[in-house]
Amino acid sequence: MEDPTPVLELRGISKQFPGVLANDDVDFDLRRGEIHALLGENGAGKSTLMNILYGLYKPDAGEIRLNGKRVSFGSASDAIQAGVGMVHQHFMLIPVMTVAENVVLGTEPRRGGVFLDERAAERRVSEMARTFRFSVDPSALVEDIGVGQQQRVEIMKALYRNADILILDEPTAVLTPQEASDLFEILRTLRREGISIIFISHKLNEVLEIADRITVLRRGRVIETVPAAGATHEGLARAMVGRDVLLRVEKSAANPGAAILTVENLHVLDDRELETVHGLSLEVKAGEIVGIAGIDGNGQSELVEAIVGLRRPTEGRILVNGQVITRDDPKHLIEAGVGHIPEDRHRRGLVLNFTVAENLSLHEYRRPTESRFGWLWPRRMITRARKLIGDYDVRGGGPNTTAGSLSGGNQQKVVIAREIESEPDVLVAAQPTRGLDVGAIEYVHRRLVQARDAGKGVLLVSLELEEIRSLSDRILVIYEGRIVGEYTPEASEEELGLAMTGGKRGEEVPA
Amino acid sequence: MGVALGLLAVWLVLPPEHVRGVAAPVVLAAAAIACGALTIAGDRKRLGWGAVTAGVLGIFAALVVTHASVSNLEAVFTWSTIFGAMLIYATPLTYAAIGGMFSERSGVVNIGLEGMMLMGAFFGAYGADKTGSWPLGILIGILSGCVLGLVHAFFSINLRADQIVGGTAINFLALGITGYLYNDIYGNRGTPTDLPSVPNVHLGFLSSIPPRGLGNFLENVLGDLNLMIWLSYLVLIAAWLILFRTALGLRIRSVGEHPRAADTVGISVYGMRYGSVIASGGLAAMGGVFLSLGFNNSFSENMTAGRGFIALAALIFGRWRPFGAFGACLLFGFASALAPQFQNVQSWQTYQSLFEAIPYILTLIAVAGLIGRSIPPAADGQPYAKQ
Amino acid sequence: MSEPAETPEAQVPERVPFAQRYALWQRSGGIATPLATAILAFVMGGMVVLATGHNPLQTYRSIFDGSGLNWLFPWVSGAARDTAATDLQETGLLMIPLILTGLAVAFAFRCGLFNIGGQGQYIVGIVTGTQMGVWLGSVPGPVHVFIAIAAATLAGGLWGGIAGFLRATVGAHEVISTIMLNWIAIWVGTYLIGFGGPLQDHSQPGVPVSREIAPDAHLHVFWGNPFLQGLDIGFFIALAMLVVYWLLIQRTTLGFEVRAVGFSPEAARTAGMGVARNYFLAMAISGAFAGMAGALDILGWQFRLDVTTIQIASQMAFTGIAVALLGRNTAVGTLLGAVLFAALINGTSTANLDPNVFPPQLAGNLTRIIQGLVVLFIGADVLILYVWNLRRKVKIRRQPPAAPAPVAE
Repeated sequence: MEDPTPVLELRGISKQFPGVLANDDVDFDLRRGEIHALLGENGAGKSTLMNILYGLYKPDAGEIRLNGKRVSFGSASDAIQAGVGMVHQHFMLIPVMTVAENVVLGTEPRRGGVFLDERAAERRVSEMARTFRFSVDPSALVEDIGVGQQQRVEIMKALYRNADILILDEPTAVLTPQEASDLFEILRTLRREGISIIFISHKLNEVLEIADRITVLRRGRVIETVPAAGATHEGLARAMVGRDVLLRVEKSAANPGAAILTVENLHVLDDRELETVHGLSLEVKAGEIVGIAGIDGNGQSELVEAIVGLRRPTEGRILVNGQVITRDDPKHLIEAGVGHIPEDRHRRGLVLNFTVAENLSLHEYRRPTESRFGWLWPRRMITRARKLIGDYDVRGGGPNTTAGSLSGGNQQKVVIAREIESEPDVLVAAQPTRGLDVGAIEYVHRRLVQARDAGKGVLLVSLELEEIRSLSDRILVIYEGRIVGEYTPEASEEELGLAMTGGKRGEEVPA
Repeated sequence: MGVALGLLAVWLVLPPEHVRGVAAPVVLAAAAIACGALTIAGDRKRLGWGAVTAGVLGIFAALVVTHASVSNLEAVFTWSTIFGAMLIYATPLTYAAIGGMFSERSGVVNIGLEGMMLMGAFFGAYGADKTGSWPLGILIGILSGCVLGLVHAFFSINLRADQIVGGTAINFLALGITGYLYNDIYGNRGTPTDLPSVPNVHLGFLSSIPPRGLGNFLENVLGDLNLMIWLSYLVLIAAWLILFRTALGLRIRSVGEHPRAADTVGISVYGMRYGSVIASGGLAAMGGVFLSLGFNNSFSENMTAGRGFIALAALIFGRWRPFGAFGACLLFGFASALAPQFQNVQSWQTYQSLFEAIPYILTLIAVAGLIGRSIPPAADGQPYAKQ
Repeated sequence: MSEPAETPEAQVPERVPFAQRYALWQRSGGIATPLATAILAFVMGGMVVLATGHNPLQTYRSIFDGSGLNWLFPWVSGAARDTAATDLQETGLLMIPLILTGLAVAFAFRCGLFNIGGQGQYIVGIVTGTQMGVWLGSVPGPVHVFIAIAAATLAGGLWGGIAGFLRATVGAHEVISTIMLNWIAIWVGTYLIGFGGPLQDHSQPGVPVSREIAPDAHLHVFWGNPFLQGLDIGFFIALAMLVVYWLLIQRTTLGFEVRAVGFSPEAARTAGMGVARNYFLAMAISGAFAGMAGALDILGWQFRLDVTTIQIASQMAFTGIAVALLGRNTAVGTLLGAVLFAALINGTSTANLDPNVFPPQLAGNLTRIIQGLVVLFIGADVLILYVWNLRRKVKIRRQPPAAPAPVAE
């Protein structure tokens, strides 16, 4: 078994960001040749901790010990020098260069002191690939290889620099289940070679599968560090979530009416022109919330973008109130009665430099009372904004405050106010509570239920299974761009989880 | 294939004319267009559009030429003169385009090339005048360009200012500084007539290359070129080696594509960009030095007259690659060389300025993506903030 | 769940659109920053003057007088007052194109686009305006003027629209395409009125100029001598355009969309705005402002177009960039920027600057240096933020810690 002396110790690490204590007196240690999982929800402080270890942030307090010696990393290159490698969630690869070039970048083999020895680079990459049983073509361009392979290139980058500590930040978030199990095989090989691995994740199953020890972070604090052997799903979940976010939404039984949104056999390509939605069909009725559950990257974003008109489907139909809207642009869709709470409120939901009033009017500005024949009445915009700010309890500013200066929760309230006030028939809510605090989450949930009770159809897409279960009247599970099952909200987490990971593929439940 | 056919069609109609008639070139050009269309259908858009363009050019040329008289054609198309002039006109562009390539490959847009050239032109002349030696003149010219590059680097890298605004400012500044100093130092007299200029390289042996016609042609074109023209080819090859064959080049390009990735493996993004932008200033300045010391033997206000922008166009047209950019410089140089030839024919004179517009039209078409889209380095123009 | 993981990233955004940074900068320092920028540029210009052995204060004084702005002082009287009046009229004439080319830059900026094609759009406008002025001799004056201005405005708009169209459809960067369009306009314009060109004045084949515009197409001169560059009503048209600009940006749905697209194209698209359409319109409207500048110049005081104007004088359109940047893309700011640069350019012209104080051929270049410095400094908004933050940091450090300092240096 592994050697119990720690190669790495973090002692009393604290880091404060404006308004947030991201790490609070965190202790963490890593033994030689172990896989130590860092488990926690989004925002628990995992990434901050690792960025401190990797020299990207400076801790406010605490110390880092490497092989017993105290170290202080001023930059990522210090960390690399000391043998710490990191595989970022967003790959740090250059698409137009080859695998070998990406691996050796910064520590290139040379001929005559200056010339890049491309052949030596490729040879070393091949050797490394053989040692660790990767299959990667060193002379391929990174942009031409798949995501799983790109991740291996990232791992090789670290190994090439003689890393003996490897940090993997949410490595499976971008992988298919098959790719993920390949990755685990590689990690086991690395462990055998004596490499110590920190595995950051918020997925219980995979942590239990791969890790030797598990440290749970919650709200910047270490809750517990336990050996994986003997740890249970329930125990870890409790430690991870605590008791304060048990999401229970008060709501009456749904009273579904006629179908409002119908999606038939939809095919959609993603940015890389790969088909990520394969013949998906679904239906949302008036007065119900339909939740789409699934692991990130199974076509949810593309589905939402196709429904709201931001992405052209290649095949299939979308109908709102029986009217075909498949290839319309967002403007017509808004007019046809589709409301949209975008996944990324900073990039899509709001114009951050606009005032709250202007943001509230992003649809309304082209309708009478706020404008006529292209002439705009800013006064009316402000009057209306004042009313909505009250109705939706937006705090931290008035109509003329710039949206960018509001807190996340209040920004989302502005988005919700705007979308609900434009009286849509169907509301598409994508990750509506991402990054919000508990109070704001409850508020968003209440508003969605209210919209439902007012007879609107709500399509909720979320990565938080808990949110899906507590809000939805019907749950559809999406896997690899298809709906693989329909469930009632009473379905157990295991049942849903199994479907979400493809365990139930092929047994489509009739709607 | 299509490209070759199209070019053949163009060549056919030009004197000494092989075929006097529209039919043959038009047929050839049509074939070129067809080839191009096939290539496009076969998913190789770039080449295909090239062929189509060549074909269209062929038809156009055929129509124009057959309507012109033989004597006029011969007056305009004196090949050795044109090729010689082409090499001369291409040289300042080559220097500046290579300079621009370093800067943009590292992720800093440099529309201040024009200003950097102008600085080089003035300080090259001034340096040569004061020191009495042209090598020192070149050196001083290069240094002045580097200084301007340093200014651009500081504002666009450290202060993360908008690089287009910065480049525009550089152009104003260079125009003002050189104009001011020129008037202050030389006034109305102009730069001295005995300015030590960069010598030409005589290659007399070229004429003895058989066959005789070829030998004479080579000598007329290459036999008496300025040293800085030959130097520009060395610089070109060196630039290619550095950018695409050395570790340093890999790092420069990585910084221009994905600075964060470069940073995480310990490459100094700021360092690479500083070096590249300063080198860019020096290289552009060499183009200016060639104008004042190698070509005109004098300096005059705003003497670069937009060549920095043509160089930028050549860089884009050549897709940010050394030999692509050089090819574009030759093409643009060819257009510039051909334009004055129009003066030899009274009735064609007016078209000279129209001809000058061709490089810009071609670049506009290239940017629009008709002849294969020009895609800049991914992080070109993006300021980088360290974490 | 608050968002600790997001916060640090949000502080150091990797790709910030220019418009967004610009807005940040606008909030950061009120009117103080452009003022500071201008003063800094003048001080540095003064140092250049000093270094070359002249008196900067006298020089600036003399430039000020040369611009005619001393006419505003009641104590200037007699012959000096007449000269000042003439000079001020010329400064006013210069303000017309500067305001309009400034607006051409400012409007595009609001949409997140950098229009450095003011020069080409101006040339297209001036050529069109000239030809409209030459033709249509039988049409009554006001109608003739209107047609000429409208045609030039439209032509400028089309020229700018090309760049907007390319940006909107194939994503070609507007900076590159406008540079190319500038040079295409220069050479095509040169061809049109150059030797043997179709629009050249054929009665003087040796001179590359256009024919003279019809007398009834001249703009009315309301101040000064109509034959010696008195100030014409084009001045009021330019001022009116400032108002139009403000209304367009602040009081129309078009302006609302343009601003939204400028700040966040993605959010604008999500909200149902046509991003491509706005890119096109913004560039077209920008070009229209610049095109109008060309018409007003030709109908107001040039009356015939020569090649020099096309090749050199049109470079003044670049000054529009400095005007817009200094004026922070607002209507009032653009007006003030235009006053500053018009005064500077006119005050340093050969005719107006006292050669005993400072040689005008140097002064013209001094103007360019100052202009370059203004653009350089104003582009570096971070410089100002940096200095600002530095000051705050120093302040914080100066405050003695009330409690025992927790962190040792």
